[in-house]
Amino acid sequence: MVTIVIDGHKVKAKESSTILENTQELNIDIPTLCYHMDLSPFGACRLCAVEVKTNGKWQLATSCNTPVEEGMELRTDSALLQESRKLTAEFLYYRYPTTEAVREVARKLGVQTPVEKGEGHDCILCGLCVRTCREIVGVSALTFQDRGLNRNIDEPKIEYDPNTCIGCGACAYVCPTGYVQMEAVDDKRIIWNKVFKMAACNVCGSFFAPEDQLRYISRITGVPFSELTICTSCR
Amino acid sequence: MGKVIFSSWSGKIVDNRKGKTPKASKPADITFPKPPEEEKVLALIGWNGLVVMNPEADILSLTLHYLEQIRKLSCGECSVCMIGIDKLLHIMRQMDEGKGSKADIAEMKAIIKQVSVNSKCGFGQSALFPVLDAIKYCKSDFLALIKGERGLEDKDYSYAVTAPCMDTCPAGLDIPGYIELIRNNKFEESLSLIRENCILPGVVGRVCTRPCEDACVRKDIDEPVSIRLLKRAAADYDLQHGGSSLNGPQKEREERIAIIGAGPAGLAAAYNLRLMGYGVTIFESLPHAGGMAAVGIPEYRLPRDILNHEAGLIKRTGVEIKVNAKVEKLSLKDLKKRGYTAVFVAVGAHRGTKIGAEGEDKGYEGFVDGVEFLRNLNLGKKVQPRKKVIVIGGGNTALDCARSCTRIGFDDVEIIYRRSRVEMPASDEEIEEAEKEGVKFNYLMTPLKILAKDGKATGVECIKMRLGAPDESGRRRPVPIKGSEFTMDTDMIIPAIGQRPELPVIPDTEKIEITKWGTIRADPITYMTDVEGVFAGGDCVTGPAILIDALNTGNRVAKSIDCYLQGRSLTGGISFEGADLKRQMGRGFTVRVPAQDVDFLDVKKRAGSFEEVEGGFGAVEAIREAQRCLRCYRVVVWEKAP
Repeated sequence: MVTIVIDGHKVKAKESSTILENTQELNIDIPTLCYHMDLSPFGACRLCAVEVKTNGKWQLATSCNTPVEEGMELRTDSALLQESRKLTAEFLYYRYPTTEAVREVARKLGVQTPVEKGEGHDCILCGLCVRTCREIVGVSALTFQDRGLNRNIDEPKIEYDPNTCIGCGACAYVCPTGYVQMEAVDDKRIIWNKVFKMAACNVCGSFFAPEDQLRYISRITGVPFSELTICTSCR
Repeated sequence: MGKVIFSSWSGKIVDNRKGKTPKASKPADITFPKPPEEEKVLALIGWNGLVVMNPEADILSLTLHYLEQIRKLSCGECSVCMIGIDKLLHIMRQMDEGKGSKADIAEMKAIIKQVSVNSKCGFGQSALFPVLDAIKYCKSDFLALIKGERGLEDKDYSYAVTAPCMDTCPAGLDIPGYIELIRNNKFEESLSLIRENCILPGVVGRVCTRPCEDACVRKDIDEPVSIRLLKRAAADYDLQHGGSSLNGPQKEREERIAIIGAGPAGLAAAYNLRLMGYGVTIFESLPHAGGMAAVGIPEYRLPRDILNHEAGLIKRTGVEIKVNAKVEKLSLKDLKKRGYTAVFVAVGAHRGTKIGAEGEDKGYEGFVDGVEFLRNLNLGKKVQPRKKVIVIGGGNTALDCARSCTRIGFDDVEIIYRRSRVEMPASDEEIEEAEKEGVKFNYLMTPLKILAKDGKATGVECIKMRLGAPDESGRRRPVPIKGSEFTMDTDMIIPAIGQRPELPVIPDTEKIEITKWGTIRADPITYMTDVEGVFAGGDCVTGPAILIDALNTGNRVAKSIDCYLQGRSLTGGISFEGADLKRQMGRGFTVRVPAQDVDFLDVKKRAGSFEEVEGGFGAVEAIREAQRCLRCYRVVVWEKAP
């Protein structure tokens, strides 16, 4: 355990835990958009910034990916932070004005947005789908497109590799804006415009998972494919 | 370059505009990036400030163009940097359309501040500061834009991108770029990007002395990003996944080019010329391609199959490599008769330098020069181990000789070096590994005389040294201590203090100038020698340098030969010398993350074996290491006179 100081209060914190994990435990409200407790932190949305005292000066640090250190002094709600978070939210709202997840967080942070529900489904580059695919599913079918020298790409985006995707749908589940859409039509699932054939349950006959996903599970677990074609409710 | 009218470079304000008194430093003190000399620069804006040379400069349009350029490099991974730049561009365009107000200037400042303090990487934290300078010091221009008295126009611009690591890399690799691709699990694309400037990625990823890592901004925070190992990871990943081939030429050209020497410089030039469609033949005196990489570096540092694979890929693009083909006398006339229109001499520096000790010319048995020793070893000649060997020198060649001796069965391996460990040019890791392998280091002594009996070397007479004042290399000069002579017995002596080229290749009639160091003189920009159509580069011009230097020379020579054949002359690019690339006006809190470790071969397994000592990153470790990169891209844009 280490001792840290949050808003003037001394607090015990687990070694190598993040600032956000500690503030959440203390019920300190810090907005997030790209954070998920089961995924590695990414620091993309910049909404969760707090102030950390470094060499006597207060500096902004994103709480989701900054681990605590012995004696660390933090501020989570200064006027400067409120202003900074509001500005970050304004940035996001400027770029994705019709996406409800963005409007919601913007409103919460004091940005004026029209009251009616946003109908847009923009990709806000939060990376939740990319991380889920890599860290939870383990296939890395989704990656960030790269920029940099001599690769003049107008808009950064998420790249999809149809050859690696198993159609599990975890990306659609975790997407906060509805950008990743999944559709089910009879024995087919459509995701990222790729059509996956669904396997029917040997017992009840309902279509419950893409065959590609079952083959993938069979391959990594060694359980024969035939034993996997029973849905969870019939198992 | 003309007079500076205004400069905020590096935070020093020089203002010679009307009605303002110049303060702070003189213009001569400002070291901002220097665009190529033939370009007439009106103004320049970059990560470190704004410099105006000509009253005609259009700062508003320049600022807009700078924003457009940095927009391309903002990765979009964090919300504030890219959107902030977008908002600034939007506001400036609104001003231009007559929809701006004074309040917009305050908003621009607030946006810049937010991006600078809250961006995820070094790029966002630094890129917008010069825009703030433009607003602050050229405010009347912005007010005029709002009032409609001025407009935004498209002028003639150039731009350059660098980073502290990139600028230090002799071959100027896009290091943040290829690391970013690894971070995003795109190893194949990363390798393609590396290959654009470095055609031997697996080799360089193993043996580079990595000046880039010394320049890494992260070095001042925790430890540098393992740039070399990430390059190796991209190359290893490719080999583990079947191995990709190199791009070949789009179209064929008639001209053929002869290259003498298949070392790194020769191979790099050959590949790049081939890619442009030229026919290329390399004449190599040794039985393998690779030059010093093949015969100067022991296998435990660079497995031969890695080099052979990468040289093989170059060959497969259509480069003809004639091995065991020593060019005894270079004659451009002969080569022209055989259909070659240009020659690149890249014969390397394969001869040891004299140590200045009595008896070194006597040809004693057991007295073998370091480069020759390594060459024999690498060519598979049997070296009979003896009881004791003394290696003279403190560079990588000396270490390579000593560490090789521990592997082939010498009982006692000692190095003598005339200065102390601090001044030793070999890398710390090399020295540490050598110590682990049992090499004994003797500092502050120098050989005076080689002792021999019946034509066989038996010992060295040495003198002790002390360190005096620093010399031109900045290292303290060793000074002999009078009367401290002593002798050391040994069975073998390997001097390894330096190398020079072997140049019977140049006959007197060709009028190619040879310097007093025994190297060839060539133009530093075009690499052309005094004989038209004959180019030279690599160790035979510079003296022994590092591998990546040779690759860069090869890349540049290919461009230069291409220019020459089209009747033009290669010109230099922008220079960032002294331009303070590490300076970053904004810096957020950076979490300290130690570099990923790699495994080293167990010391017990090293004797009697030339198995590779250092391991590489797997994909997972490589991605983790790549995430440590702070992406310190620095952009500079300049307006040129029409």
